[in-house]
Amino acid sequence: MSAAISFDDVSKRFVLRHERAYTVLESMIGLVKPARRSTEEFWALRDVSFEIVAGETFGIIGPNGAGKSTILKLMARILEPTSGEVTVRGRISPLLELGAGFHPELTGRENVYLNAALFGVSQAEAQDRYDEIVEFSELRDFIDVPLKHYSSGMYMRLGFAVAANIIPDVLLVDEVLAVGDEAFHKKCLSKIEEFRREGRTIVFVSHDLPTVRRICHQAMWLDRGQVRAVGPSEQVVDGYLRSSLAV
Amino acid sequence: MLQTWRELLQYRFLLKQLVIVNLKVRYKNSVLGFLWTLLNPLFMMLVFTVLFTIMLPQAAVPNFPLFVLVALLPWQFFSNSVMMSTSSVVGNAHLIKKVYFPREVLPLSTVLSNLVNFALALVVLFGMMVVLRGPFTIWILLLPLIIAVQLIFTLGWAFFLSTATVFYRDVPMIMDVLMLAWFFLTPIFYPITILPQSKEVFGIVLNVQRLAYVLNPMASLIASYRVILYDGAPPAWDFLLRTTVTAIAFLILGYLFFRRFRRSMAEEV
Repeated sequence: MSAAISFDDVSKRFVLRHERAYTVLESMIGLVKPARRSTEEFWALRDVSFEIVAGETFGIIGPNGAGKSTILKLMARILEPTSGEVTVRGRISPLLELGAGFHPELTGRENVYLNAALFGVSQAEAQDRYDEIVEFSELRDFIDVPLKHYSSGMYMRLGFAVAANIIPDVLLVDEVLAVGDEAFHKKCLSKIEEFRREGRTIVFVSHDLPTVRRICHQAMWLDRGQVRAVGPSEQVVDGYLRSSLAV
Repeated sequence: MLQTWRELLQYRFLLKQLVIVNLKVRYKNSVLGFLWTLLNPLFMMLVFTVLFTIMLPQAAVPNFPLFVLVALLPWQFFSNSVMMSTSSVVGNAHLIKKVYFPREVLPLSTVLSNLVNFALALVVLFGMMVVLRGPFTIWILLLPLIIAVQLIFTLGWAFFLSTATVFYRDVPMIMDVLMLAWFFLTPIFYPITILPQSKEVFGIVLNVQRLAYVLNPMASLIASYRVILYDGAPPAWDFLLRTTVTAIAFLILGYLFFRRFRRSMAEEV
């Protein structure tokens, strides 16, 4: 069993600058009286280590501000760790935000290609997948309409359709399943189920504990940037539930 | 470095898409659409022709409209690329924060879409050269080489400025002023020969004409365009070679600056 994703002593620090010099003049003033500049450090993650085995569904749970989204952004290579090492094997399809990179002035069709390109696929692959994507989104009648005329539900559907049909090796899912109506929601879940059966790696971040328990093999419980528990999802979810009830 | 190349190769479809989006969005919802890319230089050329043949006939420089156009079109390619590249990273903050892709494609796509516009303007220019009886000589074949040198020089600026704007939002305003000054310091509306060869400034005798060439890579590039498209003669090889070296140096420095900060862009934009 090889690791699809491994975090090795990963820490991430954000520097919150209360008075950031945004202009040249401000930074020159800063040279004259440097004391006024105040910064505050915030450690979103501290010494986090874990491995996700290829082909498993891995859940990440924890209260708000635990660092779940930071972990996803590190996996997607949007952020760089302050220290430690993040290793990812294979192509990642980040569902961090559906329709990220959609351009409102362009049509659905143009946006499908643009979004596919953002995920790093070749022109040939994008053309191959195009029909499946449109079929999945159920938006064939609107595909030549500029996106600015789409409803937010349609927007999300197109976003999920692209991300889910680009065939990633690792799928990152961050609370995006509350998409569209009940029928489409079911379709998304069944797509995830399909990924699972195909033996692809899925990282699932959610507050929906029953779903995490049901679909994840392994889970990690994060609390204030540190790992509280990693293991089989039932155990981790139960432990998390007990601690939240105890408070 | 090798890894960056491989990655850029993998993401070439994204580069192509971004160039297309840049070109499309500019003319979206306009009736004539993409035709504007051709109409814009055409109208400009008509205005110059009327201005400099009827209203302000220039006796000193024959065929003055063509004299200006062969210099102004490359300048616009440079100036538009530079100004648009300042916002190429900051203007795509929503992408940088949500998706990973090699950040290099942002300034690259901005400059390349301006290159496409320039190429189309050149087609119009060749049409005008037929009308205005410009010289069609063998030296026109050197055009791709000169464009390549200008492209390298422009990319260096684009990498530098797109990064600098992430940290200082007044870079576009500074460049606005700088480009205006640069425009007048570059021999576009005047031949470089009208500059004095010896001029006393604060007691020092300067060869202004030579300095204008040596200190300004754009002057040498513009002169090269002019000599092959207006004079129909070979370019000044020594200046072209020197400009090529300068352009490559700018690209290396600009790119190193970009590379130094590209990792933190998602946090800073």
